[in-house]
Amino acid sequence: MAELRLEHIYKTYKGGVEAVKDLNLTIQDGEFLALLGPSGCGKTSTLRMIVGLESITRGDLFIGGRRMNELEPSDRNTALAFESYALYPPLTVFENIAFCLRARKIEPSQVKQRVTEVARILDIEDILGKRPVELGGGQKQRISLARALVRDPDVFLMDEPLSHLDAAQRAHMRVELKRLHAQTRRTTVLVTHDQLEAVAMAERVAVMNLGVLQQVGTFDEIYNHPVNEFVAGFIGEPPMNFLPCEPVSEGGELGLRATDGSFTLRLPSQRAQQLAKQNLKQVKLGVRPVDMLATSQAGDDRIAGRVYTYESLGEEGQLAARVGGHEVLIVTPPEDHFEPEQPVWLGVRPDRLHLFHGETGAAI
Amino acid sequence: MDATLRKRLIGIFSDGFLVLYFLFALFPIVWMVLVSLKSTDELFTTQFIFTPTLDNYQAILFGDARASAGVIARQEFPRNFMNSFIVSSGAVIVSLLVGVPAAYALARYNFKGKENLAFTFLSFRFAPELVVIIPLSLIYRQLGLYDSYFGIIWVYQLVTLPLLIWVLRSYFEDISPDIEQAAMIDGYPWHRIFIQILLPLVRPGLAAAALLAFVFAWNNFIFPLVLGASNVQTVTVSALGYISSAQAFFNRMAAAAVISSLPQMLLALSIQRYLIRGLSFGAVKG
Ligand SMILES: Nc1ncnc2c1ncn2[C@@H]1O[C@H](COP(=O)(O)OP(=O)(O)OP(=O)(O)O)[C@@H](O)[C@H]1O
Ligand SMILES: [Mg+2]
Repeated sequence: MAELRLEHIYKTYKGGVEAVKDLNLTIQDGEFLALLGPSGCGKTSTLRMIVGLESITRGDLFIGGRRMNELEPSDRNTALAFESYALYPPLTVFENIAFCLRARKIEPSQVKQRVTEVARILDIEDILGKRPVELGGGQKQRISLARALVRDPDVFLMDEPLSHLDAAQRAHMRVELKRLHAQTRRTTVLVTHDQLEAVAMAERVAVMNLGVLQQVGTFDEIYNHPVNEFVAGFIGEPPMNFLPCEPVSEGGELGLRATDGSFTLRLPSQRAQQLAKQNLKQVKLGVRPVDMLATSQAGDDRIAGRVYTYESLGEEGQLAARVGGHEVLIVTPPEDHFEPEQPVWLGVRPDRLHLFHGETGAAI
Repeated sequence: MDATLRKRLIGIFSDGFLVLYFLFALFPIVWMVLVSLKSTDELFTTQFIFTPTLDNYQAILFGDARASAGVIARQEFPRNFMNSFIVSSGAVIVSLLVGVPAAYALARYNFKGKENLAFTFLSFRFAPELVVIIPLSLIYRQLGLYDSYFGIIWVYQLVTLPLLIWVLRSYFEDISPDIEQAAMIDGYPWHRIFIQILLPLVRPGLAAAALLAFVFAWNNFIFPLVLGASNVQTVTVSALGYISSAQAFFNRMAAAAVISSLPQMLLALSIQRYLIRGLSFGAVKG
């Protein structure tokens, strides 16, 4: 077990693709971190550099304080659970798990003991004699985890480990992985593009986009205080609404007016002060669908819109309304119902609104 | 007509067709065996006279007891058989040594001109041998490769290598690189990964391709005919020796052919299991 530290890590592939740019990240000893980001943002590249399957173009990688850049994959004592499982088809499940122990010339009796123990933790004792072809996705996944765990790695890495499982298995494995981590307290990095997975298992989340690390923190920190428009839009389901606005002063107070003129909104004084300091022409107002309410009565500080679609989902409803030229999504309580084309008035929780720089997208 | 009846009729029909094809395919072999068991007098008659004799086998294997013919003065069949065996298995072994790494490289690595290279290998197979044989024979004479085992094994690569490379390439492509990388992290050097993980996965393809390559090499006629002489004469070439202007020993030729086809038949039977799976390109499952 050890701390994993990435300092100014770059990865440029042959052909010039910059997959990772200036990545700085420290994962504490025993911590469970989720690396979250859309497809192609460099998550797998990062993992593969940590394991040693891909060379590090620039920067330094430390595991337990030791620089790892030039070490062979087998000398880093990391374990990687592949997205494709990557089990060894000719070998039995037992031999799959024992494979790395055999390479280290560990005594057969010890091998047996360690394999059986890991198999017990992952609940695969009854299939140790089978071959991978005979098994289903969930079982293969467990074997690949067992294979990674049996070697007692300093750092445990998983690349989208649940992406090939069905919904029920996925929910089950989430719990299992979390329990496994609680039991072993191993430094763990989980790569995923599914935020539910990240929230469910990890203690901290790192969000990447286009090869650049955007924000690191607990899920609550990232959800409540996203550092930029990308993170705000990427985290949270359904995604945040963004409305382009311009600051206007009304009677000495700074407020917002929609760029298309469809509404004006007063800001809480603290937000107004922050905004005033920046002296911007263009901002983006960000509000999560759960932080809005929709009524059929006009009211003070309500935004006028028109119902576009409404879906009742049982425990909640989802209302899409048109405000000026934009579509706004609102999560509504189950007892409310809306008809298309009906006028609605939308309220925004003033303490829950987000403001972003109109050009850079940085949070204000 | 109801469905079951139709099914049965189709079944009978296709079985009948298979039997016909079986007879058709087997006929030359049966005929060859029959001829090989006939005496010279019985060969050219319009009635079917058949009193089986092993004389022909005796003659080609141990020499002609009556030594009347003079067609083949010394009994060379056993030597020719050995020659065939040496050059064919030599060619397959060399092809394996060269072809397996080549197929692996073509499957795994991206390099400039990769597809062109792969196609060049394949083109060896469909370019007619006659096109290259004259320049080759000149080159061989100059290099001193004429009538040597080494020379024949070398030129047989044109026959054996493309097949191996193309079959194995598709096998290697079917194996996820993740598997190799997982084994690398597990601490294995490449050669052990290859032996313990990759080889068992490509074995059906390897067996099938190697067998076919062996058969192609064994049956080759033109290369040893032009590039070899007495030293490396193979059974295919020596078959010509049973015919002279004076006499044609078709029965001995048939006996030689029967013995010559034995290795192929035995090989094919012993790895029959692999053959179908092996050539249905890529049957690797993870
Ligand atoms: N071996 C490679 N050679 C060249 N470019 C590559 C290579 N591997 C990845 N890339 C590129 O680098 C970028 C990052 O890829 P990476 O696989 O790290 O993304 P990812 O975040 O894991 O995506 P996904 O969620 O789809 O798995 C992509 O644009 C990809 O096309
Ligand atoms: Mg990936």
